[in-house]
Amino acid sequence: MNAPTTRARPTSHPAAEMYAREYKAGQLSRREFLVRSTALGLSAAAAYSLIGLKPAMAQRATPSMGGSLRIQQGVLALKDPRTYDWSEMGNVSRGLLEYLVEYNRDGSFSGMLLEGWETNADVTQYTLRVRPGVTWNNGDAFTAEDVAANFTAWCDSTVEGNSMAARMGGLVDADTGQARAGGIVVVDDLTVQINLPTPDITLVPGMADYPAAIQHRDLIGTNPLDHNVGTGAYRFADYQVGISARLERTPDHNYWGNAYLDDVTFIDLGTDPAAWFAAAEAGEFDLTYQTVGEFVDLFSAVGWERSDATTGATLAVRFNQLNAPYDNVEVRRAILEAVDLNVVLELGINGQGTTGENHHVCPIHPEYAELPPMTVDKAAAMARLQAAGHGDTDFTLISLDDGLGRFTCDAVAAQMRDAGMTVTREVLPGSTFWNDWLNYPFSATEWNHRELGVQILNLAYRSGVAWNETAFSNAEFDSLLDQANGIQDADARREVMARLQQIMQEEAVTIVPYWRSLFRHYRPGVVNADMHPKFEINIHHLGLSA
Amino acid sequence: MEPLTWSGDLGPFLNPVLALSAALFAAGFVANFALSLAGLRPGEMVVNADRTLTFRRTPVDLAVAAMKVATLVFVLGVLGYVLGGMILADPLRTGILGGIAARLTPVWLSLALLFGLSIALKRRLGLYGKLFDSPIGMIGLGLVIFWVFSAVFSGMIATHGAISVISGMRNEVPGTPLPSPAEGQYAWYLLGGDALGRDVFSRVIYGAFEVLKIAPLATLFAFMVGITLGLPAGYFGGRLDTIITFLANLVLAFPVILLFYLLVTPEIVAAGIPNYLSMVLFIFPIIFMVVLFNSRFRTDPPRRNLLVGATVILGGLAYLSLISNPSDPELPLLFRLWPEVLDLFDVPGNLLIVFVSVVFVNSPTVFRIVRGIVLDIKTRDYVAAGQTRGEGPWYIMLWEMLPNARGPLIVDFCLRIGYTTILLGTLGFFGLGVSPESPDWGSTINEGRRLLTIYPHPALPPALALMSLVLGLNLLADGLREESLKD
Amino acid sequence: MAFFILRRVGVMALTALCLTFVVFFLTNLAPNLEKLAKTQGNARMSDAEVISWLDRNGYGGPLVQRYGEWLGVVPGWLREDPVTGEWRGRCLARDQAPEDAPRFCGLLQGDLGYSTVSADEVSNIIGGRLQLTGILMFWAFAVMVPSALLVGVLAGMREGSRLDRSLSTFSIASTATPEYVSGVILIVLLASSQIGLSPLLVEWGWLDGGTLFLGSARSAMDDVTFWNFTLPVLTIALYGMGYIARMTRASMAEVMTAQYIRTARLKGVSFRNIVIKHALRNALIAPFTVIMLQFPWLLTGVVIVETLFNYNGFGWTLVQAASNNDIELLLACSIVAVLVVLVTQLISDIGYVFLNPRIRIT
Repeated sequence: MNAPTTRARPTSHPAAEMYAREYKAGQLSRREFLVRSTALGLSAAAAYSLIGLKPAMAQRATPSMGGSLRIQQGVLALKDPRTYDWSEMGNVSRGLLEYLVEYNRDGSFSGMLLEGWETNADVTQYTLRVRPGVTWNNGDAFTAEDVAANFTAWCDSTVEGNSMAARMGGLVDADTGQARAGGIVVVDDLTVQINLPTPDITLVPGMADYPAAIQHRDLIGTNPLDHNVGTGAYRFADYQVGISARLERTPDHNYWGNAYLDDVTFIDLGTDPAAWFAAAEAGEFDLTYQTVGEFVDLFSAVGWERSDATTGATLAVRFNQLNAPYDNVEVRRAILEAVDLNVVLELGINGQGTTGENHHVCPIHPEYAELPPMTVDKAAAMARLQAAGHGDTDFTLISLDDGLGRFTCDAVAAQMRDAGMTVTREVLPGSTFWNDWLNYPFSATEWNHRELGVQILNLAYRSGVAWNETAFSNAEFDSLLDQANGIQDADARREVMARLQQIMQEEAVTIVPYWRSLFRHYRPGVVNADMHPKFEINIHHLGLSA
Repeated sequence: MEPLTWSGDLGPFLNPVLALSAALFAAGFVANFALSLAGLRPGEMVVNADRTLTFRRTPVDLAVAAMKVATLVFVLGVLGYVLGGMILADPLRTGILGGIAARLTPVWLSLALLFGLSIALKRRLGLYGKLFDSPIGMIGLGLVIFWVFSAVFSGMIATHGAISVISGMRNEVPGTPLPSPAEGQYAWYLLGGDALGRDVFSRVIYGAFEVLKIAPLATLFAFMVGITLGLPAGYFGGRLDTIITFLANLVLAFPVILLFYLLVTPEIVAAGIPNYLSMVLFIFPIIFMVVLFNSRFRTDPPRRNLLVGATVILGGLAYLSLISNPSDPELPLLFRLWPEVLDLFDVPGNLLIVFVSVVFVNSPTVFRIVRGIVLDIKTRDYVAAGQTRGEGPWYIMLWEMLPNARGPLIVDFCLRIGYTTILLGTLGFFGLGVSPESPDWGSTINEGRRLLTIYPHPALPPALALMSLVLGLNLLADGLREESLKD
Repeated sequence: MAFFILRRVGVMALTALCLTFVVFFLTNLAPNLEKLAKTQGNARMSDAEVISWLDRNGYGGPLVQRYGEWLGVVPGWLREDPVTGEWRGRCLARDQAPEDAPRFCGLLQGDLGYSTVSADEVSNIIGGRLQLTGILMFWAFAVMVPSALLVGVLAGMREGSRLDRSLSTFSIASTATPEYVSGVILIVLLASSQIGLSPLLVEWGWLDGGTLFLGSARSAMDDVTFWNFTLPVLTIALYGMGYIARMTRASMAEVMTAQYIRTARLKGVSFRNIVIKHALRNALIAPFTVIMLQFPWLLTGVVIVETLFNYNGFGWTLVQAASNNDIELLLACSIVAVLVVLVTQLISDIGYVFLNPRIRIT
């Protein structure tokens, strides 16, 4: 039998070679180099070889076959994957519904249901090569039609809550709200071509994100729990929202990759980390979704293995500029000037991270530009506030009732009070908080890590975008951001970014107090359970050591 | 600055004394318990053949004597800490215990004054005075009054602010010095810092104020509602009784926790439900006072008019200010009609809802108690006598029956304050509390329990405080019951 | 007697009707429905979208009509979705043709409705949860009642003695310690590998790692063991027993001063025999009512304990339903809770009549 028609994966790309030079010149971090070159279609191994290193990420241990594992994680009601709004949903269905591309811990992308992909020189055309030999667990073959059908579905922005449409960017026709004509082309059984009107380097990160789970071409728009059809090695055996979800290896299914465990159970232990710890001591699970605050030390103290990831995840304590008095830039500046971010880092998240700079670009982002540090001067802050006529204003700071939001906002409130401001705190339960999170005058929102600095600016600070919770609207910012989106070279982009970051500071858009380090703990003997910067749990990698 | 030790210079002298007395007490207690289980009785006076009296001692007496001595020594030891703390003044020398004792000086002085005066005048103080005949009642009263005075003097006692945060003091152990104390600032966290670097000791003291601000007042309102409805229901009976009893049973059949979950959510507050509820519930105290004065001074119209008028004006003003908040645009129109100038005070929505819910939950029980008592004493002669004298029913109810029902009501009042305190803590436990940074004990316990296994010091003091206050209220109620039964 | 029970059952039904209407009213207030729409649909809906979502999902009609639908006295809603052309309805199962669906599907038809958060039928959820709580309650009562009666009888048989004083103080202290305090303290003392008893036991070699008791009762949902169930049971029992003990004590003390006991003593019957043969039976009548009335009171405790120990029983479900505004699950929970309260009241009344020959119902 002939080998399927696979083309060799490109070992290079003009832009990738440019990144390699930048990396060697020290202008690009290794993480950024990997993000960018693998997003262009290079395999991680090829990317590493360009910079003369051995791939570090490929060093996953091989666990023994069999066994079962219990994971502590919220078990939420599942729905149409494109409308997923929590990474937990992606984790629990990942054993059944797989992704085209996987984002690795070290920042590189590797193909899952795609064997590989290439882009043209100006990144307007992607050629996706479908992995041959993959079958659905109902016996159908996985083909380019499946990929194209999913892309079409992702681009359907008329579906309520479909967040993939935003990730598809230019592929969505703004007039029809559907995929652009000629944008998705099935070349042959194993090849799909994506044609974009403008360069877009964020398409591959988008395909790796948790709402991008691949459904069977005939089952698009359905809840995977209802059909249990997927390419993955597992299927749902039991699903009780808020309590637990059990996946078992699908019998008689010819899985294309390697999966080690026989079954995996997700156990929902609520949102209180103290309960997680008590359950861990009671031996009720083997792996945490995330470990927070003091519990990082506690879990380590009882002998669990720790794994951490440095990320650009943060909590933005932001103002909504449509609401008085936050429409007054002097008020916002005064508050920023009063808050010592080092203290917020210490009190808010137990010092587990690095201090932020009140703009939403993290030092691990490639295009991050270093700015002179902002000054904290409580007396000057109060004087500024009084000059703005708000010396006696009572600021109400709203937060979610969880450890992160609550403590951080309490710390921010305390800093403001130290300066002489009047602050009232309001804490809302999650079921209430999220309903109105975009409109609170002064509150805090958790933001997850994004691969590139521009991604989050596009998502949250551009005028009028869906997630613009600050109501920040600045023409200069928008045009600079457009400009940055079109600049491939990180160095060149950095110059623009410096100005963007500066605008955020000058306009006092939001307090970005810190960049979080994320932690996960697992029982000794669990293999490949390291913390993922985007909280992913890939159960096909997990296993128990021999 | 040096960190403080628990007992400072006093420790080497006082700790062995305290430990010994505690051990002695425990030994005496165990011996006493075992002996009485084994059937041994305390010694009795025996009349001898030569007409002398002999007290025959048994081991039980010895054990009891040991316990008494131990208690005395223990109290002296504690007094040593208090006096030592007050005299030595320097926390470095007095240690944490002495330091706390010294901070509590106003409480000790007031307690001593109150107990001294009360014991001296106890024969003239009625039921309250009789309390000082019962050790249980005295201990209970002492505990309750201790927290009352702590709440009253909280501004003087607390070393730091309830919500002031000091960087570097996060989760620090008791006695940790401040990293850079300002001039005039107390230089230590006596009971350590909590998860946000706030002073645990000060928060417990301010927490007493928070708890004692709501619980007794809410209980009082519940009593007003319960009495105003329970008296006529029991006295008149009939359809009125059937309807009110059915409504009361309706509320009582509601599981408390479900009721709170339904009432204390942001959505319910936004819908104005607390304002509607308070509109209904808070009218009762005014009705109560008006009827009270009206029935008493019906025969003396000028005085009646003065008192009733004053009640209506003052009560009405307070009532309207309480239920309406014209500056909150989200409220239903009804609660924004009252003019801003006359709106004396605004109660924040979540405080109001907690208060109203507690009143709402407690009043049916009070109603049932009052109704039961009224049904019982309705048949007494003095009621019949009043009726024959042609006294109005409200006069009989309020001025003749109610004073006679005060014993059980006062006892229940004490118990109910304790229950309300626990209820408020339960709300804090479910995150439905008064305000997120409030130092009230329930919320502090809930916050502290997350890290209890590594840092027990932020959660244990409020837990002990809550237990001791509720225990005190229960003991006080017990003492009152016993003494009122002796009548 | 039959008439008495019949009347009580009638009042019970009326009470349950009123209470469910109150719950229905509170959960269907406009802000709560908006919250429901946003959590079920998506968080960024505009006001117009919220209204259309509510209409499409059967929350649009007048409150009383919807309450009737839930009760099963008004036909369930059924309408064609204007966007997709799909038929949707309260009584319509998935893939069922609209003409096959029953007209009524409410409480009276035995249909408890659909839980929005769990995405499942309420009847599928509530049974298992109730069973779990039943097990917890059974063990709590099995610990609480005998020990409370013992403490109460011991204290009450010699009123005013030192034994009485110390046992009474213990009872008072136990009622003064709410579950959220005692549970937390018990976990620290017995179920933490960092402080309390467990590290000591490990050090002495009596325990090979881990903790003495388990601080989480999750595993008890599959298999109840001494180690995973002791702490939750103890936490509930401790708070509840003080009250029963005090009632028993009061009742016992009263009986001990009764004439027939005095007579027996004067006849020279030994103290032990007086207590066991004569006093005990009469002294236990009053506590019986108290024990029955304890059920609803313990519900709060069950909610706290199930939350604290992560035991997914009825109390936990109630908290989840209430905090997520899961209307029909919450209504089912309140029916159960109200029934528990009313049935225990009824049993306590009837039992009191049976146990106490002096009371007759006419």
